[in-house]
Amino acid sequence: MIVRYEPWGAWAKTESPPALVALDRDAVRAIGLDGGAVWTDAPRASAPLEAHVAVTSRCAAGCTGCYLDARPDGDEPPQETMVSALDDLAKAGVFTVAFGGGEPTTREDLDVLAREARLRGLTPVLTTSGLGLTPEKIARLRAFAQVNVSYDGGGEEYARVRGFDGARHAEGAIQALVAAGVRVGVNIVLTRATWGSLDATLERARALGACEAQLLRYKPAGRAASLDYLAQRLTPEQARELGPKLRAIVERGVPGFRIRIDCAMVPFFSADPSIDASTLARFGVLGCEAGDKLVALRVDGRIAPCSFAAPTGLHASDVESRREDAELSTWRAWNASPAEPCASCSLRAVCRGGCKVVARFVDGAHGPDPECPRVRAHREAERAHDTTTGSGTSCTPNALSTPT
Amino acid sequence: MSEARVETEEERVARIARGIVVVREGHGANCSSVGSVVDTLFAAAVVGGAVLAAVAAALAKEPVRVAGTRETKGAAGADAATTTSKNEEPPT
Repeated sequence: MIVRYEPWGAWAKTESPPALVALDRDAVRAIGLDGGAVWTDAPRASAPLEAHVAVTSRCAAGCTGCYLDARPDGDEPPQETMVSALDDLAKAGVFTVAFGGGEPTTREDLDVLAREARLRGLTPVLTTSGLGLTPEKIARLRAFAQVNVSYDGGGEEYARVRGFDGARHAEGAIQALVAAGVRVGVNIVLTRATWGSLDATLERARALGACEAQLLRYKPAGRAASLDYLAQRLTPEQARELGPKLRAIVERGVPGFRIRIDCAMVPFFSADPSIDASTLARFGVLGCEAGDKLVALRVDGRIAPCSFAAPTGLHASDVESRREDAELSTWRAWNASPAEPCASCSLRAVCRGGCKVVARFVDGAHGPDPECPRVRAHREAERAHDTTTGSGTSCTPNALSTPT
Repeated sequence: MSEARVETEEERVARIARGIVVVREGHGANCSSVGSVVDTLFAAAVVGGAVLAAVAAALAKEPVRVAGTRETKGAAGADAATTTSKNEEPPT
């Protein structure tokens, strides 16, 4: 396991079972360790837990909602640049590097990069569309702890999210990777079109041999930052139903098949009174950690708060000093003292205001996630109050925040 | 004059388990968003207990490598890590 001391104890990443664990100081001592200077000296900035690394912006798939706007003639940083970045991330104390793109399997040296990551104590994982996977490429992917294949459904759902029918390719890739001994998960983008077929998609993914599904909220970045986003995003009713739907899936689930949600889904739990922040925190459910426990490395080497956000002027070598960056600070500052209705929300400490990429696109600024059920209710109440009293205006902060 | 009793392995694992503040299961295998396992969240308490027990056992026996170094060690006397926290609350 890898241990990273923190003033309150340590983070530890175990191999079997794979987990990232926060321990208090007494537990660290029980392992036979001591934080030494970290526990006694003045604290310094904490490193991210996870880094999302774009190893290429090259991709021929042409997904209509690509958050990176990847293209067939995209860039591919040289191997030495990538290894240098891995060095910087490892020295900072990052635990996991998630390789993406573009389509990362267009690189010929993925196995080299995965091994270099492991040499530095980083756990390498990867996301692929599964398009164009050859036996040689699949062999390279065995160096990764897990490979996730984008798979939004076995029918027309895939095409409705990505603009082309790649479902059969994705299914073939899942099966081929599993046959090669790779641990495989699937990434399912939840839109109003894929929501209804989620159960069938999960069942199909499991039958193909996947061991995990990550449910992703559709986000307005890259090519998805268009008016079409408003037609793709979950409806308010679907967002409110997330908690009960997940509970039903888990209750009839199959042992060994895991369900994950992404950071941007956490605000939807505000509609489910049975979900409490302490349980979410206990099991490490993370909301928006952009620029904090998460950092994204763009293909041009610049750091971004997350994969969907615009880059800063920082580079991988600046990870340890990133807290001094003005742009990254704004992402954390809102979380520190949010406005209502986040300020009084019981999920605030975990949710951290919801997805700021969505807030920026819909409202034009950092602020409460406009698609959070609690935020929607709050704004509707404010509008009703304004209408009743004749005060204020009937305008929302941005026309896009009108419920759809 | 009495001597301090040596902690049994079972007691040591129990102490580790008591000190687990957060457990994030899995590898975090996505390149865009931070993913969190929610099975345990919705499962019966006994499942959560089993997860904690398995993790505590792993923490007690896996070789240790301190972040930012290439050294692996079995236990005790760890070097100072390369990273620390500033103005950050424990992840509770």
